[in-house]
Order: sequence, then structure tokens, then C-alpha cells
Amino acid sequence: MAATDQREAAFEAASSRRRDFEETLTRTAEARGTEAGAALGRASLWKDAYYRFIANKASVVASFAFVVLLAYVIFVPIFSRYDPYEVDFAQAYSPPSTEHFFGTDQFGRDLFLRTALGGRVSFAIGFAATFAIMFIGITYGAVSGFVGGRLDNGLMRFLDALYGLPYLPFAIITLAIFGTVNFWTMVVALTIASWFTTARVMRGQIITLKENDYVRAAYAVGAPRRRVLFRHLLVNTLGVIIVFVFLELPGVILGEAFLSFIGLGISPPKASWGTLAQEGYVEYQAHPYIIVIPSLMIAWLILSAFFIADGLRDALDPRMKET
Amino acid sequence: MALLEVSDLRTYFKTREGEVHAVDGVSFNVEEGKVLGIVGESGCGKSVTSLSIMGLVQNPGRVVSGSVLFDGRELTTLTDRELEDVRGRSIAMIFQDPMTSLNPVLTIGTQITETLRRHMNLSSADAKKRAIELLEEVHIPDAARRLSDYPHRFSGGMRQRVMIAMAISCNPRLLIADEPTTALDVTVQAGVLDLLDELRIQHNMTMMMITHNMGVVAEVADDILVMYAGQVVEQAPAMDLFGRPEHPYTEALLASLPHLEGENVRNGRLVSIPGRPPDLLAPPEACRFAPRCKYAGLDDCNVVAPELREVRTGHWVRSAHPTSERTAVPVGAGAP
Amino acid sequence: MSEPAPSAASRNGEPLLAVTGLKKYFPIKEGLLIDRTVDYVRAVDDVSFEVRQGETLGLVGESGSGKSTTGYCVLRLLKPTAGSVRFDGEELTTMPRNALRRMRREMQIVFQDPYASLNPRMTIGDIVGEPLLVHKIGDRKRRRRTVEELLEVVGFNPDFVNRYPHEFSGGQRQRIGVARALALNPRLIVCDEPVSALDVSIQAQILNLLKDLQKAFGLAYLFIAHDLAVVREMSDKIAVMNHGKIVEMGSADEVYTNPRHEYTKALLASVPVPDPLKMRERKAERRKLKHVLAEAL
Repeated sequence: MAATDQREAAFEAASSRRRDFEETLTRTAEARGTEAGAALGRASLWKDAYYRFIANKASVVASFAFVVLLAYVIFVPIFSRYDPYEVDFAQAYSPPSTEHFFGTDQFGRDLFLRTALGGRVSFAIGFAATFAIMFIGITYGAVSGFVGGRLDNGLMRFLDALYGLPYLPFAIITLAIFGTVNFWTMVVALTIASWFTTARVMRGQIITLKENDYVRAAYAVGAPRRRVLFRHLLVNTLGVIIVFVFLELPGVILGEAFLSFIGLGISPPKASWGTLAQEGYVEYQAHPYIIVIPSLMIAWLILSAFFIADGLRDALDPRMKET
Repeated sequence: MALLEVSDLRTYFKTREGEVHAVDGVSFNVEEGKVLGIVGESGCGKSVTSLSIMGLVQNPGRVVSGSVLFDGRELTTLTDRELEDVRGRSIAMIFQDPMTSLNPVLTIGTQITETLRRHMNLSSADAKKRAIELLEEVHIPDAARRLSDYPHRFSGGMRQRVMIAMAISCNPRLLIADEPTTALDVTVQAGVLDLLDELRIQHNMTMMMITHNMGVVAEVADDILVMYAGQVVEQAPAMDLFGRPEHPYTEALLASLPHLEGENVRNGRLVSIPGRPPDLLAPPEACRFAPRCKYAGLDDCNVVAPELREVRTGHWVRSAHPTSERTAVPVGAGAP
Repeated sequence: MSEPAPSAASRNGEPLLAVTGLKKYFPIKEGLLIDRTVDYVRAVDDVSFEVRQGETLGLVGESGSGKSTTGYCVLRLLKPTAGSVRFDGEELTTMPRNALRRMRREMQIVFQDPYASLNPRMTIGDIVGEPLLVHKIGDRKRRRRTVEELLEVVGFNPDFVNRYPHEFSGGQRQRIGVARALALNPRLIVCDEPVSALDVSIQAQILNLLKDLQKAFGLAYLFIAHDLAVVREMSDKIAVMNHGKIVEMGSADEVYTNPRHEYTKALLASVPVPDPLKMRERKAERRKLKHVLAEAL
């Protein structure tokens, strides 16, 4: 909690500094154009955001890295000449070479291919769980913030209580209750205790946005509440939602990898990066590359997602424009 | 002798679209013991001017050229360290929003004594005593007790008073006030302005008052500088400026103000200035007010950039058609 | 001045808007687990006034005086704690939501901050057309034409209907806000500090626009502002608010040339006027009123 507060304070300070600077720019921009009624000719909100994102070198590199990883995961299994499940003990434990870029495992299966397939599983679970987290978090937070009053109070107290739940142990318990581990139970397990922050941030966003005069103006012209919520509030949280997707994704994928690593993952012969790493763990002294490669993949994904989120936050933070 | 001499100051901001000429060749003097008011609308460069003087322009802004002589000392070439010293001791500054200038997690006592101990080398007991004196000087009731309060416990006006106390704590010779009362209510504003006037006399301070409010400059300033689109367009003693404004912009600005009293209250429409100030990315090589000026077009206003010239003693104007010359020239006859 | 029955017959003599005994208290809550109300902020405390068709009532006061809250209560953007708000003879404070939505056609609002009052993700056309859409007025094409007309009326180039608000300057945005307020042909517009965020030269443009519109459409304004000169410029009658109460009300001339209440006097003496000659006089006046001003600190 304290860490979150601190991060938020730093976040706040940075965006307020940016806002101060934006203000000077807005003024000079406002001083442009020659006749009243002419547009100032500034780029659109999204274009502005794009330029701010491009200006952040780390994020650009991270986006490139992310796309490369995605391409690897998607295309390698399509074009690979190996069979991912065929056992060939003659080829077992061959180290990385031009034949097998990432080497082979104990059954002689090509790891370059298996890592890509594992990535598919990791990505799929990651995206599905992130989507679920977003859906639950946004709905919960938006309703709480929008309706306000007693309902908000109740929902937030409930959330406070849930906040104490440790994420991974809770996921393990969930999996234990289900009894089987497959794609969907994994998604549920990863979602169940990780949508709280999204809900809370969403509620904060909605409450802040609710104070905008354009919301009052909408009520003043007689707009129904549904319209106010969707047309005036939710659309303006789009930036935050996109940022949160990239913040949640690495967390979820890491969670999945961890669960797989401790043996609660998708069952073999299918594998995620976590499972691959777990397989490598057994042999890590003799054949270190088997554990190193999937671990590096996970690190690659997490780092690029975090840097993308960071850049997006700078680029899209709606607080810069609207308050 | 002038305490502050600014000549040909230019401050540009680099943006994606090019360089914004926020301050574009500003020169003026501030005489010792006087109050100079700089007035203009948002984006005219008045605040950037004051930041440039203090060496506080931040990236992507940059003082491109010009000199700032303070008491004979060039400020633009000083190192950051030397500037910091000048800022604390000889030149003090107060800003529009006192909340952002005060640290919310420290008591105001701590903040004032910190400044005192750093710049005046006082012991902590002495610093505390001095801090109480300062708060009393800015008329904060119950000063000794309020020393241990945090900034959020003060109202806007009180916070500004605290800022003023901090600003005068090292007996600066020049006080730059950048829109010090803009965020305040009128009655509070009046109090702060009265206080500034009182302190200025007591401490023998020279002052620069930067504001968008014509009323505020009229109230406090001896001399007034009107800025438009990064340039000084008119400079004159306060009485002369309000009595006989010369520049068409100043004239229109005064006419566009609603009046509190007098005959022309609620008399039909207000005079408004059509259009907007020019783009400071590529300021025109001509009179910058010409597109909005009702006297332009009689002349080569859209081609030739007018120089700042003295139309009568102490009254400078940058226009081809100052009021006093206009009456001499029949409208439509063209300028000589 | 008295309260006539809201019959159609007596409407001619009745003010368009009659506010009586309006109160808005905000509870101050305390408590760790269960909030309980310990006190109230009396934002608006027993305020009464009326506005007639085509007339402007200026509501002037400093921040925290309750003037904006009054405006919101009149439009029922906030629910008043007590008191009555009658618009055209109909009581608004107890009106059910559906009926209220219908009444929204008759009264609109223009906000202070032209940056916060327009949804950044909506086009100018959508913003100005929203009232029409919400009340299902006309078809798509018809609405589009109305929007263009409205923009023309407020001096905004209708070619820009597909642009977004951030592309325009403060003055232009305020014009858009005015166009939105006009869309439903209201009879009353609450102007909540409509020019205080604008530069002086632009401020004059907007004030002129509001005056022109009033003349053209016979609008009544509840003009809320802290700038006394601006209120003077716009109003027929003026009410001075302080701490949630109206301390003085009368014709604009009366209040400004012959203020009775000490607070009004202090307020007037505090306004800096663009005339150095009057400075000394005002300072002396302020010194006399020191006790009132000190309270404001």
C-alpha cells in the first residue's frame, strides 16, 4: 500500500510538472492562427500522444522488442520443419547450434519451436486473463465511482477486504478447488485476485472525471445517466485502460510462469514458458540453456511490456489534458 | 542609476513544430526604489521575461541572447551556483500559486528558518525569532503559534503572505511578483497589494509586478510596460499610460474593460479586439498588432516592423499610429 | 413579489424564475467505519431572488460565497436542502426526473472553464448537437443543420464541426459552450463565471455575444461572477452574496453607487481600477473598512 501511494505521488508530481509545461505550450499554441474561428491546427489527441510516445526512446525500443517476440511466437511454429512432440532420443540434449537454435530437450525436441509454442500458451493465457481483469475491474470500478454514495462505500469496503488477499496463494487455492489445470481454470485463477487495482484506479478516474463541467453540462441538457457514463466518462478513461493492459499483462504472465514452474501449470506435452523452465530446472547444471532460454523470454516480455506501459502512461495520461 | 537593466532579451522555446519566440527582443530598465508593472495577456511573454531575468527558464526554453544587468552585474553569464546566491539574497520572487511554492510536508516555520539559515547564517534560535518577526511583518495573526502549522492550514491569501515573508527574509533589493494576486479573491487581493506596498517602502525595495490585470498595475506601478506577442509595445509612467494611451493595442485593451463606475457603464457593447495574437513560431516581419489594429492599412504596417520610439518624454511606443500622431493626421490621408 | 398561484392566467405578471428560501447544506462527515454527520457547511443559506423574462440578475461574490452552488441548485444539478425554485410557475425542487428532463429545454448553463466544459473526445458537432440528440429533436440531417446555424450564431466557423475542442482557443471554446446552451432555445441561461478564464480582449467578445443573444432571443440570465465590473456591465439587478447569504440586492446602479452593506462597500473598494488617480481614494476607503476586510483574511 505504502509503495503504491509513493508511486502514485511520484506519478502525480511528474504529470503536474508536465502539465505546467503543457500550459506554456498551450498558451503559445493558443496565440496562433490569425483570425477568430480558425482552428489552431494542433494535432489530434491521439496524434499528440503518438509524438510523445515516439519521443520516449526506451518505449520505442520496447515496442519493437515486443513485436519481434510476438512475431517469433506466431510465425516460428508455422514455418518450423520440426515436430514439436516427436521424441528422438538420438537428438536429446543437443546444445544450441545452427540446426537447433535453442538446442533440444531430453526427448530431442527442438526447443526453438517448443519455446515459440510455449510463448503462444503464455501469451494466450496472459491476454485472456488481462482481458478478464480489465472487464471485471472496469465494471466494478466504474459502477462504484459513477453511482457513488452508499453503494460506492459498500463496494470499496468489500474491495478493501479483498485487497489483503495474497495473489499467488489465492491462485493456487483456486486451482486446487478446480482440481484440473487447463487454459480456462488458469485464466480464472490468475484473474480472481488481481483485478482489485484496476477497479480502484478506474473508480478514481471516474470520480475525477465526474467533476468535469462537461459532465454537468450533459446532465444540464438532460442526458440520461447511461449516456453520461458511456459517452462522457468511459471514453475518457481509454488512455488509462490501454496503459493498464500493458501493466497487467506482464504480471499475469509472470504469475502463470510461476505456477507452471512449481508444477501447477498446463499439463505436458503442452507447455508454457513456465513449464519449459521447470523442465530445465531439473537439468540446470548439465544443460543450463534449457532453463535460461525460457527465463530470458519471460524477462524479455516483462521488460518490454513495462517500458511500453511507461511510455504509454506518459503519452496518454489524460490528466495532462483535461484537468 | 537603474537597478536592473534588461537589453534585447530573447527567450525561445524549442517545440516539435519549431522555435517559439516567447520573448523577442525585450529591453527595459527598473529604477532603484520604483515599481515597474509589466502587463499583457496570456502568451505575451511577461512571465517568461521574469523567469529569464532570474535564470529560471527551463528546458526546452533557452535565453538566446540579450543581457540582464543587476546592479551592474551581468546575470546571464553567471553559473547556476552564483545565480542561486543572487536569487536568494538580492532578487526574490513570488508566484501566482503559493501552494506549489510551499512544501506541503514541512511546517512553514521550518521552511522560513531554512531559508534564513542558508542565506543569512543565523543560528536556529535566531532564525526562529526572525521568522516570527517576519510573519508579524506580513500581518499574520498569532505568528509564534502559526509557525508550527503546515501550509494547508493557511488560506490562499495567508499562504501568499507567507511567501512574501520568505521573499523578504533576506532583505532583497528587487522583488519580482509574478501574478501574485491572480488566484485570490478581490478583498484578499487588496490586502496583499497593500501589504506589498507597505513592505516595499519599509524595506526600500524595488519591485517588478507582472500581471494581466490593468487595475492591479494601475494600483501599484510607477512605470508600466505593455507587452504584446513577445515584445514591448508601450512603456510609460502610469499616469501618462492610463491618461493618454498611445499604442492602439493599449487603447483597445483599456476600452475593452467593463467599468465599475462612470458614465459609460452598460452603454451598449464593449470594444473588443478582433482576432488573436500572431503565431510566435514564425512572428511576422511587420507590426505584430497590425492584423488586429483598426488603424493599420493606412500605411505599410503589414510590411515594416515598427521600432520602439519615444513620442514624448518617457513615453515609448512601438506603432506607426500612436494616438497623439493620429489626431494630427486626417484619417485616410495616409501617414507622412 | 408575493407568490402567485401557478395558474396560466397569472403568468404574465409572474417572474420567470422565483427562488425562495433556498438552502443547500453539505454534510461534514466523520467516523472511522460508519460515517456520521457532525456538522454542515451552509453553502447556500436562505437565498431568495427572482429573474424576469429578458432580464439579467447578477450574482456577485467571492469564492466560497455560494454563488455557483446557487446556480447549480436552480438548475437542479444539485438537490437543494430546502426552499423553493419556481420556473415559469412550476416547482423544480420536487419535480420527478422525467419531468425535469423536459424542463431542461427551458434553462441552460454556460460554465467557467472552457477547457473542462467540453468533452475532449467529442467533436464540436457532437457537443453542440448533444442536447438535440438527447431530446430527439429532428432527424440526423436536420440536427446537423441546426448545429451549423448555432455555431454561426455564436460567431464560430461551422466548417469546423468535425474538429475536436483542444484545437481551439479559450474564447472559441466558450463560444461552443454558448452554442450548446442555446441549442434547445432556452428561456433562462445560468452563466457561471463565463469569462473569468479568458483574456480581457476575448472577454469583451464573449460579453458582447451574450448581450447580443439576450437581445435577439429575449433570454433571461442569472449571471454569476466574481468580477464586479463584469457583473455591472451585464446586469439589470445585482445580488451580492457572502457566506451563503445575499447581503444586498437592488438595481445595478443602486448597489454600485450607493452600497448599503459594509461587505458590498469593502468589495467595491477592493477592486483595482485601471486608473491611478483613484488609487489613493480607494486606499483610504479600504482603511476605513479594515474590520470587514480583516474578516476576509
